Amino acid sequence: MIRRTPFSAPGVFNVKKRMSWVLGVMFLAPALITGKLFYLQLFRHEEYSSKAERAIYNYLAEDRVRGGIYDVNGRSLAESVRTHSCGIVKRYVKDKDATFTFLAETLNIPKKQIADKWNQSKNFFFVAKRIKPDVYMQLAQVRRQDLGQGMELTPEYERIHPFGQSALDILGAANSKNVGLSGIEQMYNDPMTQDVSKKRAKRSGRGEIIYDRSLKEKINVANVYLTIDSTAQFYAERALNNAVEKLKPQRAIALVQNPNTGHILAAASYPVKDGQSLAFQFTYEPGSTFKSIAVATAIDSGTLPPNASVYMEGRNWEVTKGFVIHDKQHQKDYLTLAEILQLSSNIGAGKVALEIGAKTLFSYFKAFGFGGKTDVNFNGESKGSIPPYNTWTKVDLVTKGYGYGVSVTPIQLITAYSAIANGGILMQPHLVDRIVYTNGKVEKLSKPVKIRRVISAQTSQTMRELLQTVVEVGSGKRAQIKGYNVAGKTGTAEKLSQEGGYGKRSHVVSFVGMVPATKPEFVILVILDNPEVYAFGSTGAAPVFKEIAEPLLAMQGVAPDQTDFE
Amino acid sequence: MKYVGWLLIFFVFAFIMISIHIGIARSGRVISQLQNEVAIKEARNQYEELEISRLSSPQEVTQFAEQNLGMVEVKPHQVIVLEGTK
Repeated sequence: MIRRTPFSAPGVFNVKKRMSWVLGVMFLAPALITGKLFYLQLFRHEEYSSKAERAIYNYLAEDRVRGGIYDVNGRSLAESVRTHSCGIVKRYVKDKDATFTFLAETLNIPKKQIADKWNQSKNFFFVAKRIKPDVYMQLAQVRRQDLGQGMELTPEYERIHPFGQSALDILGAANSKNVGLSGIEQMYNDPMTQDVSKKRAKRSGRGEIIYDRSLKEKINVANVYLTIDSTAQFYAERALNNAVEKLKPQRAIALVQNPNTGHILAAASYPVKDGQSLAFQFTYEPGSTFKSIAVATAIDSGTLPPNASVYMEGRNWEVTKGFVIHDKQHQKDYLTLAEILQLSSNIGAGKVALEIGAKTLFSYFKAFGFGGKTDVNFNGESKGSIPPYNTWTKVDLVTKGYGYGVSVTPIQLITAYSAIANGGILMQPHLVDRIVYTNGKVEKLSKPVKIRRVISAQTSQTMRELLQTVVEVGSGKRAQIKGYNVAGKTGTAEKLSQEGGYGKRSHVVSFVGMVPATKPEFVILVILDNPEVYAFGSTGAAPVFKEIAEPLLAMQGVAPDQTDFE
Repeated sequence: MKYVGWLLIFFVFAFIMISIHIGIARSGRVISQLQNEVAIKEARNQYEELEISRLSSPQEVTQFAEQNLGMVEVKPHQVIVLEGTK
């Protein structure tokens, strides 16, 4: 028997209840949709409207402004000046001859030149670029007249360097559209530039750009201030140019650093190439300027006392079979550490390195900052090379003591000498002092940063005294400056020849020194790579050091540290 | 007469509107010209400032002092620095 539910059973056949359910469902859907729309409109409005706008529109900038580059004292080194380029759209020109005559007279160019360009181009050609404001004004006045029909004046920029070629290797280049291409210009391109006069635009079906409305924006670009002092830079460049003229080196570098802050005050290179500073990118075997590092390591590690004497092996030392080092510059059987530096003895420095041992010497090289980038923040900085100590042979260890078998950069060497000069602390070198935005915000980038203590204050003092004797009675005599104690070291390193081995006629001469030696204010490094006229560190580079240091000391008003000079 | 009155009011209103419009257009043109002149004068000023920078560069000053005024560079030991001047 089938049991049926009665037709009028309550809860199943209640029409009113059913209707209210259906109505509820019918209202719920629009309510949910309305709720979602409210949510999107109220909370997600910006996100979706900008998405939609991006899909339809583009923002095109008519212009791009760019900040300047200045030296530490605010002297302009690079600045953009607004100019215009003048072009001709042929099909809109009404009176060809009159337009040619007007342009030739105004722009001071031959009429024939314009006519030639007209004949060679299809529809558009540039008549002149980098038009100065006065001339632009004359051209702009006829734009609405028949004479100006077809003439297009487009804004562009000229990057002007008021000090000419000075520091151009650091500054780098920026193009007429205000885009940085190399050097500091490229590195700080983003904060230095801003697109302005932006217009909302969309493309029509035919591909034409239809401009909509302009956007208002505040200009806020960065001006970059370097630690470079333009006067110090001038002295360094002048001295370097004189040396280049006299000795004709392939390359030349002069670097000036404040040892107490790590600030680079001048960095001159020869030849000058936009954005390619040899001070940070050049690598070389330092030769004898590296002996100070070995001697400092020996004293600081307690391997040798400052007054130690080293046996000279009859001035012909056979390190291993077939590898002999000669000292021809003296006749002594023993040399003190001071004399090793004064006479630049390879045997002495090699024996010192051997006494120290590979592991300790390597760890000091690393502590001084060799074999790694200094993070001075310059594009393309090299890191040099210090091979791991466990691969060194006895010969490797000995030769590294006098600066062969390692490659360093000028910025590494000067920073290491700054550590010797400032009491033993390796300072972070700085090239950019601060970034100043046009809205007033200042970002200081050159606060002195102590990386680590490399040698003790006592070793630093001893080293300064030893290096002072190099200039007083040793190979660095030509770096002497009246009234000031100078400490420094010469270097004459033979270069690896392409055929293998070291070439006698191909060498790097250098001098690195600090002044005043009792409390150094400047550390200066001079490098002349492969001079055509044969020279040594003592005859070629030391005089350049003096030529840079003298006016620097006078300019900064550094008091003499000698009391008995006349 | 009623329409004439309305027409008169319309013409007066139209005249005022046109006058205002022309006035605004004229002022706009003048402002645009002035802005153009300002931009050009600013650019010219920037050139002059850069020329001053160039002329005050250490190279120019040294050259002028040595060649035109017969000056020579001082040696550092000849400089006397007075206390408090640095």
